[in-house]
Amino acid sequence: MRICLIGFGAVGQGVVKAISLKKRDIKNKFNMDLKVVGVSDSSGSAINPGGLDEDLLLDIKSKTSKVSNYPKYGNSAIQGIGLLDNIDYDCLIEATPTNIETGEPAKSLTLKAFKDKKDVVTSNKGHLALFYNEIINKSKENNVKFKFEASVGGAMPIINFSKKTLASSKIESIIGILNGTTNFILSRMTSEGSSYKNTLEESQVLGIAETDPSQDVEGIDAACKTVILANSILGIDCVYDDIEIKGISNITSEAIELAKKEGYLIKLIAEVSKDNLKVAPRLVKKNSPYAVEGTLNMATLKTDLADDVTVIGKGAGSLETASAILTDLINIGKLKN
Amino acid sequence: MRVDLILELLDIPGQLVNILSPISGFGANLVTVIHRRDDKNDDGMIPVQITLEGEQESLIQCIDKLKEMKVTILEINGVVSKEKIRTILIGHVIDTDIRNTLDRINKLKEAFIVNLEIKLSDENESSAMLVIETDYGMKDIVFSKIQEIANEKSLLVVNEV
Ligand SMILES: NC(=O)c1ccc[n+]([C@@H]2O[C@H](COP(=O)([O-])OP(=O)(O)OC[C@H]3O[C@@H](n4cnc5c(N)ncnc54)[C@H](OP(=O)(O)O)[C@@H]3O)[C@@H](O)[C@H]2O)c1
Repeated sequence: MRICLIGFGAVGQGVVKAISLKKRDIKNKFNMDLKVVGVSDSSGSAINPGGLDEDLLLDIKSKTSKVSNYPKYGNSAIQGIGLLDNIDYDCLIEATPTNIETGEPAKSLTLKAFKDKKDVVTSNKGHLALFYNEIINKSKENNVKFKFEASVGGAMPIINFSKKTLASSKIESIIGILNGTTNFILSRMTSEGSSYKNTLEESQVLGIAETDPSQDVEGIDAACKTVILANSILGIDCVYDDIEIKGISNITSEAIELAKKEGYLIKLIAEVSKDNLKVAPRLVKKNSPYAVEGTLNMATLKTDLADDVTVIGKGAGSLETASAILTDLINIGKLKN
Repeated sequence: MRVDLILELLDIPGQLVNILSPISGFGANLVTVIHRRDDKNDDGMIPVQITLEGEQESLIQCIDKLKEMKVTILEINGVVSKEKIRTILIGHVIDTDIRNTLDRINKLKEAFIVNLEIKLSDENESSAMLVIETDYGMKDIVFSKIQEIANEKSLLVVNEV
């Protein structure tokens, strides 16, 4: 399988590293040859139909921050969508930044790949939160595969898990913690008794929260994931604007203390059901499945036959997120074999 | 026939007698009593499990009378009938007429506030924990009413999941 990768940041590099680590196993287990033939970041690209060397790609990117510096095959004139016309490939892995205003460049990249009859795997959620139906319909029209497990909960299995493993049950609702940064902040406020402001600053120093933390703390990231779960698992036709969103920036240490006294914790909870599409800080019982700490994500799926099923996992991280992307690739490969 | 009830009573002598004497005339017999003192809560209340035996009519009359006396019935024949739900309000909780907030919640049928604790934060803002007793199954209705009041008063609500 010839892979074209657009977006070579934390996730893109994780994918290349994971391929380097796992390609022999994948060949042995699934008889699939994974070959990275093109990579693009914002500066340019590296293109080799014979396959790029994964370790060299990672080395060049970390030393020079530009993939176009790749020896012999680097190219600073071809970038992003331009790469798709300059290479023959089977599957696009799209890992550009999430954009919740326009969904770009992810949307154009994805639709272009579909038009060219290529399969697509993504970790991006902006375009899905804004144009879920349009994008899914286009993938069907073009008869290509489109997978996005990594876009919700990183390594935490949820979309494939619901569709495959829980195939016998109807999923009635999903309630979960879908953002690791806010879970870290709230967990620290609870264990340290510290204020929101100080804890946010501490998380920024630790590299857990971004310099501009608004996507996380205002609940935007969790809302994007809510849209994806609602559409893909519960079949609810909705977009980002349908989600009621409250973030955590007004949570006080006093509120956390009051909750603690009653045996409760405050968590940023996403609720996905026919009646409710919302992200808000909520009270959850200590010792309940919702009481996960640190940057972990979790989700409880309420089903008709299996009753409640809970999944927990790492919601972010370079290799962790790449694991979900690689699983999607393998599943696409299996369908083709 | 028999009915098993779990009542919530203050753990002081004479409480059970106080509530049982008014129902003694309905023709039901008290078969068992278990005081679950290990489950005493912070307000000194304990669950008391009782079994009454008698005609269906008499048993219904007994339960109605207990409700009329505002005795909290936690369970009837193993079915939970009351639950405590919790919510936190954050913002200008006091300045936005807290009396009015509480009254409007208490006015809801089958919901009343059994505990309120407030902590002050900066700049006149505060955080308030409300513990509300409701009939089982009424939780969503009570929470949506609280949300409505909070929206009106620009308060952040942190409802129980
Ligand atoms: N990080 C995680 O743990 C995680 C987990 C789940 C999902 N996700 C999602 O995965 C996606 C990637 O996340 P990330 O953390 O890897 O982001 P990131 O570190 O910011 O990387 C983004 C990459 O995209 C490149 N890029 C930006 N605009 C481009 C364009 N127009 N054409 C080609 N490349 C472009 C950037 O180039 P430069 O390198 O030149 O800047 C960079 O390599 C996001 O949508 C994110 O929401 C991330």
